[in-house]
Amino acid sequence: MDKTNYKHMWVYVEHDGTVIHPVSLELCCEVRKLCDQSGDKLIAVIAGEIPNTEVDKIRDCGVDGIIDVSGTGYERYNTEAYTNLFAELCVKYKPSAVFVGGTTNGRDFAPRFAARIETGCTSDATEVVYNPETTDIEFIEPASGGKIMAVITIPTLRPQVGTIRPGTFKYIPTGRKAVIEEVREAIDFPLEEIRTKLLSHEQAAYDPEMDIANAEVIICVGDGLSDERALSRYRELAKMLGGKIACTRPLYDREILSYKLQVGQSGVMIKPKLYIGFGISGAVNHVAGVDAEKFIAVNKDPDAPIFHYSDYSIVGDMDEVCDAMIEALKAKAV
Amino acid sequence: MLKLLVCIKQVPDVDQMTIDPETGKINRIGVPSILNPLDANAVAAALNVKETYGGEITLITMGPPSAEAVLRECLAVGADHAILVTDRAFGNADTLATSYAIVSAAKQIDHYDLIFCGKETIDGATGQMGAQLAERFDAAQITSACLIHTVDEANGTLVVERELENSTETLEVAMPCLLTMEKTHYPARMPSLKGKMAAKKKVITTMTSADIPDLDCDRIGDSGSPTKVPRTFPPVMPEPGIVIDEGSVTASVAKLLTFIAE
Ligand SMILES: Cc1cc2nc3c(=O)[nH]c(=O)nc-3n(C[C@H](O)[C@H](O)[C@H](O)COP(=O)(O)OP(=O)(O)OC[C@H]3O[C@@H](n4cnc5c(N)ncnc54)[C@H](O)[C@@H]3O)c2cc1C
Ligand SMILES: Nc1ncnc2c1ncn2[C@@H]1O[C@H](COP(=O)(O)O)[C@@H](O)[C@H]1O
Repeated sequence: MDKTNYKHMWVYVEHDGTVIHPVSLELCCEVRKLCDQSGDKLIAVIAGEIPNTEVDKIRDCGVDGIIDVSGTGYERYNTEAYTNLFAELCVKYKPSAVFVGGTTNGRDFAPRFAARIETGCTSDATEVVYNPETTDIEFIEPASGGKIMAVITIPTLRPQVGTIRPGTFKYIPTGRKAVIEEVREAIDFPLEEIRTKLLSHEQAAYDPEMDIANAEVIICVGDGLSDERALSRYRELAKMLGGKIACTRPLYDREILSYKLQVGQSGVMIKPKLYIGFGISGAVNHVAGVDAEKFIAVNKDPDAPIFHYSDYSIVGDMDEVCDAMIEALKAKAV
Repeated sequence: MLKLLVCIKQVPDVDQMTIDPETGKINRIGVPSILNPLDANAVAAALNVKETYGGEITLITMGPPSAEAVLRECLAVGADHAILVTDRAFGNADTLATSYAIVSAAKQIDHYDLIFCGKETIDGATGQMGAQLAERFDAAQITSACLIHTVDEANGTLVVERELENSTETLEVAMPCLLTMEKTHYPARMPSLKGKMAAKKKVITTMTSADIPDLDCDRIGDSGSPTKVPRTFPPVMPEPGIVIDEGSVTASVAKLLTFIAE
C-alpha cells in the first residue's frame, strides 16, 4: 500500500438527530492540530438528519470539509449500516485517518469496519501526535496497568482508525474556515439487511449521581476502601461538599460501585474543580482520566504514586481523614 | 440444538507486573495468569442459555500452550468442548490478526449460532475483539449485552438487552450473533468438585496453523498485525505536591480545608 495515496483526517460526527455528541466536537478540535502539522484536511462525516445549527458547531471547529451522507439505514444506530457506510466511504475517498468517539456505539462499529477493510484500529489513546518523519499518527496510551506508556502506530496501512473516549480532549473551537467544502453522498443501506430490530428503548431516568463527567467536586474512592459499609462516610462527605462519588476500577471489580462511576482511561474522564482521592495508588490508567483544578490525595502509603499528581495530600488512614473532614465541616457549619 | 461458542482469554494479572528499573521493560516472569474476569461472565451467560434452551458449549482461546489452564477452568463449570489455538506463528498478534486466526480455526470445527465474548480484557481492554470476530464470522453483533431475554431457536432469533451510556435498548437479533457480555446478570460460576474432575478428563482440541487449510499466513501473527508498538516510555510523573502534616489528623484536616476553601 502506498501511504501517500491516503489523505485527510476524518472525524465521525455522532448525534441523536437533535444534538451532536460532545466527543465529536472534542475530536474535531484535537484532530485540527494534527492536520495543521500534516497538511491534511480535516473532514467531518455526518450521516442522517441533524439541524443545521448543530452542524454549525462542527463548522466552528475549523473543519475543511464535511461529508454529509443521506440514505436509508441511519435513522437509528445499527452496526450494519454504519459499518458499511465507513467501509464504502473509506474505499472511495481513501482517508489517512478516521477518528471515532469511544462511545458504546462508536466502539461497536469502528473495529468492525476496520476489520472489513483490513486496517488497524486503536482504542482509548490519551494523546495523539503526528510524526512528520514517518507520517504516522502516534496513538499514545498507558499500557500494562499504567506501568508504561505505549506508542501505537499503524505504519503500513491506511486509514489509521482510532476510537477516543469522551472527555479525553478539550473542546476549544478554533473558528470557522473561510472555505468549507461540503459534499453530499447518498449511500442506501438495505433495511432488510439490518440484523437487529429495536423492540424498545428505555431512557434511564436521569440519575445525577451517575453524571460524574460534569461534576465540580469528585470524592473518588479506591481499593483502599475496606468494605461497602465504609462507603457511607464518603457519601456524606460528598454531600457536604456538593460533590459526587466516583471510583477506581477495583471498586467496580469488587461490585461495590457501578462501572459508570469508574474514572480513567477505560472509564469516565472527569474535569472537576476539586478532586479528593481516598485510598488510590495513582495508576496512570486512573489519573489519566482526572483533569482537576485542585487535586487532593489521601493514602496511608507515603510512597504512593498518587502524591505526584496531587496539589495537597495527607498521609494517613482514609477513613480517619474522611471522618475528621466531616467533623470539621460540621463544626464550621454551626 | 443450539451451538454456543465462548471466546476466552488467559491474561496476566496486570496488578502484579513490575517494571525493570534499568531496562524499563515489563517483567512478566512469575506473574500469574488468570482467566480474563469478564470472560467468566460470558461463560456464565452461555451456561444460562444452555440450561434454559439446551445446547452445546464450545470454548475457544488463542494463546500459548499454558492457556489450557483457563479452558480447563471453564470446562469445570459446564462447558462441553474446548479448542486451543496455539502456534508460535500466531504470536504477537493484534486484534485484527487474532480475530482472523480464531475465526479460521473455529470454522474448521463447526458452525455456531451464538458466540460469546467478554466486554473487554483487563490487559488490553481494547474491547475490539468482539466486533472483529463478529465481522469475520459474518454474524450480527450486540456489544455491551447485559441480559438475554429469550432465544427462539426455531425462528433463529433472540431478544437481548443492550446497555448504552444513559439508556438500555431491547433488540431482536438474528442468529448467528455475537454478544459481548457485561457482568451484571451473569455472575461467574464456581466449579464443583465433580466438575473439576470431569474437566481433567476432557479432551482439548489443539489447533496449529498447519491444522487450518487455506490459512493466509500473511494475515496471522506479527506480519498480519497492522498495529505496532514502536516504543514505550515510562510515564512522566510530576513533582509531588505539598504533603500536609500538622502532627495530628484533626490539625492536618483543618489545614487541608483552608486550601480547599481558597
Ligand atoms: C488497560 C487497562 C485500563 C485500565 N483502566 C482503568 C481506569 O479507567 N480506571 C481505573 O481506575 N483503573 C484502570 N485500570 C486499573 C489500574 O491499572 C489500577 O489497577 C487501578 O487504578 C488501581 O486502583 P486503586 O488505586 O484503587 O487500587 P490500588 O492500586 O490497589 O491502590 C490502593 C491504595 O490504597 C491505599 N490504602 C489501602 N488502605 C488504605 C487506608 N486504610 N487508608 C489510606 N490508604 C489506603 C494503598 O496504600 C494503595 O496505594 C486499568 C488497567 C488496565 C490494564
Ligand atoms: N486470544 C484470545 N482468544 C480468545 N478470545 C479472545 C482473545 N482475546 C480476546 N478475546 C475475546 O475478546 C474479548 C474482548 O477482548 P479485547 O478486545 O482484547 O478487550 C475478550 O473478553 C474475549 O472474549
